[in-house]
Amino acid sequence: MASLIPCPHCGVRPKEEFAIRGDASLVRPDPESSDETWNDYVHIRANPRGRYREHWQHVAGCRRWLVVERDTFTHEVFSVTDGSVRAWEIGR
Amino acid sequence: MPHQFQERHALEELVSMNAAAAADHLAVVARQAIVVVLAAEGQEASVAALLTADEEISVRFSAPGEWLVVTGLQTPELLQQSLAALLRETAHCVDQSHGRVLLRLSGANSRAILAKGIGIDLHPSAFVIGSSANVLCGHISINLALVDKNSFEIVVMRSFAESLLHDLCEMGRAFDLSVFFAP
Repeated sequence: MASLIPCPHCGVRPKEEFAIRGDASLVRPDPESSDETWNDYVHIRANPRGRYREHWQHVAGCRRWLVVERDTFTHEVFSVTDGSVRAWEIGR
Repeated sequence: MPHQFQERHALEELVSMNAAAAADHLAVVARQAIVVVLAAEGQEASVAALLTADEEISVRFSAPGEWLVVTGLQTPELLQQSLAALLRETAHCVDQSHGRVLLRLSGANSRAILAKGIGIDLHPSAFVIGSSANVLCGHISINLALVDKNSFEIVVMRSFAESLLHDLCEMGRAFDLSVFFAP
């Protein structure tokens, strides 16, 4: 796992300071969606080997939610953005 | 039914009163005023400017738009009132004076002691005087600030203070760290 995360607010920090929530690409389905859609949203996850975008929370630092784009194989971190900026970017 | 509250320091029975401090010393500050300031949306810059202009207080970065204001010159009530008057509707101020514990670690080996539990670069060129950061020390989240050349101030949540003190003593054993209440 990527061991150093460059937090946009706090600088480079060890991964121990963060809590990982998981896939950041999921979009919450419509409340009226079928049970199958909801099941997929809640339970079904891809487990990619390679580039992956996740929600990380800097629990021991600024306590902000971040979107970390990293490689699950090479451990390279491509980008880290604040969750609010990301949400604004994709219009949520 | 009236309650009578007694003010007790979290480390009262664990740390003795001042004696001769060693070269590397951890001072437990007995009285301080700490207020958490959270800027209202869009007011982050103006609140930061107002806080840094005040010379009686020390401002510690906690998160974007959030700071810890620390002072030994005012009582908690006075600090809370003066901040509320200064910032008005631009920020929320919450008194944390009794909810946090302030520790002051000083000495030539202070960086070597902290390096045992902290994952940030503490070199004087990277963490300059006046810098502050929320960091993980061992397994406890603290706010660390460099207030003087070799002097760090640590703000920790009250209930974690005892455990942090234990960790810091362990980290400082190789350097003969002394621990007393600050005079």
